[in-house]
Amino acid sequence: MSQPVVHIQNLNLQYQQSLVLQDLNWTILSGENWLLDGESGNGKTSLAKVIAGLLAASGNIKINFNDTNKLTAKVLLVESWYQFKNLEGVANFYYQQRYTSQQAKETLTVKAELAYYAKENHLSIDDVEPILEIFNFSSLQNSQLIELSSGEHKKLQLVKALWLKPQVLILDQPYTGLDFKSRKSLNLLLDEAASAGVTLILISNDDDLPSSINRFATIVNKKLVTVNTKIDLQQFIPQRENKTIPTFLRTSPVYSSQQIAKMENIQISYGDKKVLKNVSWEVKAGEKWLLQGHNGSGKSTLLSLINGDHPQSYANTLYLFGNKRGSGESIWDIKQHIGLISPEFHWYFDASATVWESVASGLYDSVGLFRQLPYSKSILVDELVEYFGLTEEKNRLLNTLPLGAQRLVLLARTIIKNPELLILDEPCQGLDKQQTQHFNQLVDELCSNGMTLIYVGHFESQLPNCLEKKIVLDNGEVILIEKIDKESKKHKASDALSFALSI
Amino acid sequence: MANYFNTLPLREKLNQLGVCEFMDNAEFADGVNALKGKKIVVVGCGAQGLNQGLNLRDSGLDVSYTLRKEAIESKRDSWKNATENNFKVGTYEELIPSADVVVNLTPDKQHTAVVNAIMPLMKQGSTLLYSHGFNIVEEGMQIRKDITVIMVAPKCPGSEVRAEYVRGFGVPTLIAVHPENDPEGKGLAQAKAYCVGTGGHRAGVLKSSFVAEVKSDLMGEQTILCGLLQTGSILSFDKMIEKGIDAGYASKLVQYGVEVITEALKHGGVSGMMDRLSNVAKVKAFEVSEELKDIMRPLFQKHQDDIMSGEFSRIMMEDWANGDKNLLAWRAETGETAFEKTPAGDVKIGEQEYFDNYLLMVAFVRAGVELAFETMVEAGIKPESAYYESLHETPLIANTIARKKLFEMNRVISDTAEYGCYLFDQACKPLLADFMKKVNTDLVGKNFNEGKDGSVDNRRLVEINEILRSHQVEVVGVKLRKAMTAMKAIKTA
Repeated sequence: MSQPVVHIQNLNLQYQQSLVLQDLNWTILSGENWLLDGESGNGKTSLAKVIAGLLAASGNIKINFNDTNKLTAKVLLVESWYQFKNLEGVANFYYQQRYTSQQAKETLTVKAELAYYAKENHLSIDDVEPILEIFNFSSLQNSQLIELSSGEHKKLQLVKALWLKPQVLILDQPYTGLDFKSRKSLNLLLDEAASAGVTLILISNDDDLPSSINRFATIVNKKLVTVNTKIDLQQFIPQRENKTIPTFLRTSPVYSSQQIAKMENIQISYGDKKVLKNVSWEVKAGEKWLLQGHNGSGKSTLLSLINGDHPQSYANTLYLFGNKRGSGESIWDIKQHIGLISPEFHWYFDASATVWESVASGLYDSVGLFRQLPYSKSILVDELVEYFGLTEEKNRLLNTLPLGAQRLVLLARTIIKNPELLILDEPCQGLDKQQTQHFNQLVDELCSNGMTLIYVGHFESQLPNCLEKKIVLDNGEVILIEKIDKESKKHKASDALSFALSI
Repeated sequence: MANYFNTLPLREKLNQLGVCEFMDNAEFADGVNALKGKKIVVVGCGAQGLNQGLNLRDSGLDVSYTLRKEAIESKRDSWKNATENNFKVGTYEELIPSADVVVNLTPDKQHTAVVNAIMPLMKQGSTLLYSHGFNIVEEGMQIRKDITVIMVAPKCPGSEVRAEYVRGFGVPTLIAVHPENDPEGKGLAQAKAYCVGTGGHRAGVLKSSFVAEVKSDLMGEQTILCGLLQTGSILSFDKMIEKGIDAGYASKLVQYGVEVITEALKHGGVSGMMDRLSNVAKVKAFEVSEELKDIMRPLFQKHQDDIMSGEFSRIMMEDWANGDKNLLAWRAETGETAFEKTPAGDVKIGEQEYFDNYLLMVAFVRAGVELAFETMVEAGIKPESAYYESLHETPLIANTIARKKLFEMNRVISDTAEYGCYLFDQACKPLLADFMKKVNTDLVGKNFNEGKDGSVDNRRLVEINEILRSHQVEVVGVKLRKAMTAMKAIKTA
C-alpha cells in the first residue's frame, strides 16, 4: 500500500488558554475525499489551518506529496474568509466604500489580481479562462476588487484554487454566498479535480455535495470521529434547548410610517456599468420579503439604498419611512429604524471590539461602541447576550471567536433595537444546521409581532417560514415579484429561481 | 498683502495664539441646525473635498461642488468624483452667487487665486470656510467685511474622515472663527454645525484660532511629524547598512517600525511607548533621547522663530514664485536615498521586535515629540494645541511611511509641510553627524536586550518613569485621549 497523503498523529492545538484539538489522529489515503462537518466551533477550521501549515501545533503531521504527479505539490486551504488588500498593502476598508466612486484607484482589478497570482504560482492565464467562464466571471475582469460582492469574492477564491490544482485542496465552507447555479458548477469542478488526483477535504454543512466525497468525519471532544455516511454525522450535533425570547423583543415595533421603502425606476451605475436598471419596488410595514438573484445581480446594492449607504440614492426617486431621500434626513435618521446584517457587513465589522460592545453598538447603528450605555439599555444587552449563549464570551474580542460565534454576535446586534425593519442578507453563514434553524424560528417569532422583513438566502431549505412575498433580480433588473404560496413554498421557490437563472 | 500676524500688536498676537479650548459634547447639541437648508458649495473635489462632502450630505445638508471651467470641460478626476457620486457640479459663476457657505478645499498654493476669483461672486453675508489658515494668516488675505470667515480642520486624511464617519464615529477636529470677519456673530455656530456634519464632534473638538492653528501646524509638521521622521528613518537605515545588517531587514524595520512604535504612542503617550521597552532598554532610550533633545533644541527653536516671524512663509513663497525649484530638487533627492530604493525584505518581524531592535527610533520619537511640544508652549501656543500638532499626529504620518516610505509621506502631506520637512532634514542631518558616529547596532538593527541580564537600578528607573509621566505633554494627553478612545488600531504587517 502506498503512503497516506496526510498522516496526523497525536495532534494537540492550544488557542489562548484552552485546548482546541487533543491527541487527534487522522489518516487520509490517496483516492479518499473527505467531508468534515459538525457543531459550529468544534475546531474544524483550526484543523484545516494546521494541515495547511498556517497554524502551528504539536504532534506528527506528515504530508506525502506524489513526485510523479503533475499537480502542484502543495496543500491549499480556501478559507471561509476572503482577504484582499489595497495597492498599498493595507486591508483597511469600510463597508460602504464599494458604493462610492473615487477616481483614485485603491485596489487591483480582477485581471491584474489573476495576472499576479499566475506569476506567483507559475500558472498560465489560458488555463483560467474556462474556469472563469463556468463561474460567469469573465465579464468582471475589469472590475476592481473593492467592487466585487461577497459571492463574487468567494468565486474568485475558488477560481484561484481550481486553477492551481494543488495535490491537497481543503475548502472551508466553500458554498457560502454562492448562488444555486454556482454551487452546482463548483461540485462538477471539484469532481473533475478529484478525478485528476486532487485529494479533497471539504468543510461544509450543505446537503448537496460533490459525488467524489467518499469519507465522512467530525470532531467531537477535540478528537476526530469517522462515520460511514453523511447522515450519521447528525447525531453528533448536540441538541441545544430552545430558549424563550427576551420580553423586550416580544413587543410590536412602533412604526413611524406605513411605508417602509418605495423605489421608482431606480438607476445605479458606476461609469458605464449599470448595476440596477429601472427598479421599482414597494415595501409596506409588516411585510415579509424574500429577495433572490444570482451572485452579482444587484441584491446588496438594492439593500444599501434602503440602509442609507449608497451615495447615488440622492439622485433617485426613493422614499424611506415616509420621507423622500435627500429631503434633509441624515443616514442616522434612516438607520435607527433598521437592523441589518450581510456578509459584507460582517467582513468590514470592527473585530477588535468585544462581544458585548458589538451587540450594544446596534443600539446606535455604529461599528464599535462609542457611547456610555444607560443602565436601562445595558440590561437589555445582557439579556440578549445570554439568549444567544454568549455570556461567557462577552468580554472577549470578536476576532478571537470562530466565525460562527462572531456571526451570532452580529445577529444579536441586528435585533437589539427591536427595529421596524430587519434586513437579513444571508444571515446564517457560518452557523451549523441547528443554529440556523433556531435563528429562523426567532425571525418567525419576531415577525409574528409585526416586524418588517427583507431576507436574502440562496439555500431554499434554510429560510424562515414567515416569508410571504418574493422579489427576484437578474442582472440589475426585477424579473419577478409574486406572493409565496405557503403550501409549496420551498419547492416553488427553487423552481422559480432555477428558471430565473436559466434565462 | 502683508503677513496678518505681523500686523497685530503683541497683546493681540498673544491673545490669538492663546485661543484653545477643548469643547464639551453639550456644545454640539444643536447638531447641524445652523446649516440646515443652507447651500454649501465646496471648491475642489480631491480627497478632503469629496469625503467631507459625502459626510455633510449624509448628515442631511445640501452640498454641491464648484470647479474651474477647464476642470469641468476636460472632465478631470475632480469632476468625475463629484458627478459619479451624484453631486451637482457647476462653475464658480453658476454656483457661488447662491451659496450660503463656500468651502475652500483647494491646496494652499492656490488659495490666493481661488479666493480672488470667488470673493466678488459671493453673496452678501455669506460664509467662507477654510480647513487651514495659511492664506489668512501668512499671506494676509483680506476678506470682504460682510463675509464670515471660519475654519474647520479635520486632523486626518480625507479617506479617514469618511471611514470614521460611516462607522458612526469621526476624527478629531479643530475649529476657529477669524476675529476680523465675524460680522453677524454666527461664525462659531456654523463651524460647530459643519463639524457635526463631518462627524468630528464625536472624536474631540478643539476651539482654536486661525493664528494658533497655522503657527502650531507649521511647527509640528516641519519638526516632529515629517522632518524628524524623515531624518531619523534615513539615518537609521544608513547606519544598519554601514554595520552590515541585511538590507531587506533594515528596510522593513525602518518602514514599518515607525508605525508600530507610534501606535503605542497613540494609545499611551510617550510613557506608553517607552513602557514597551524592557527596563534596561528604557533607561538607555531615555538617556539617548535626552542627548538628542540637547543636540536638536536649537534647531527646533529656529524653526519656531522663523514660523512666528513669517520668515518661513516668506522663503517658501519665494520658492513658489521660483517654480518650486528647491521643493522639486529636495523631492528628487529624497526619492534617490538608499532607504527609498531598497524594498522591504520578505522577513517576519514581530510586533515587540520593532521596539527591541529599533530603540533608536523610540528615542527619536520621544525627543521630537517633547521638543516640539515644549518649543510651541514656550512660544505662547497652548498645551492642547501643541499636543494635537505634535503627539497626536505623529502616528498618522507614520502610517503613510509604512505604506510606501518617505516618498508616500511627502506625497500625502501638503506642499507646505513637505517644504518645511526638507528644510528641517537638510539642517538636522549635519547636526546629528557626531552623535550618529557613536551609534551601534544595539540601538538599531539588533535586540538591545541581547547579552544583558536585564538588571537596573531601582531609584534610576523610578526617577525616569517620574520624569516621563509628569511631562506636560503626558498630562494633557491623558485628558485628550479619553475623548478619542475609539480610534482604530492599525494592523501590523
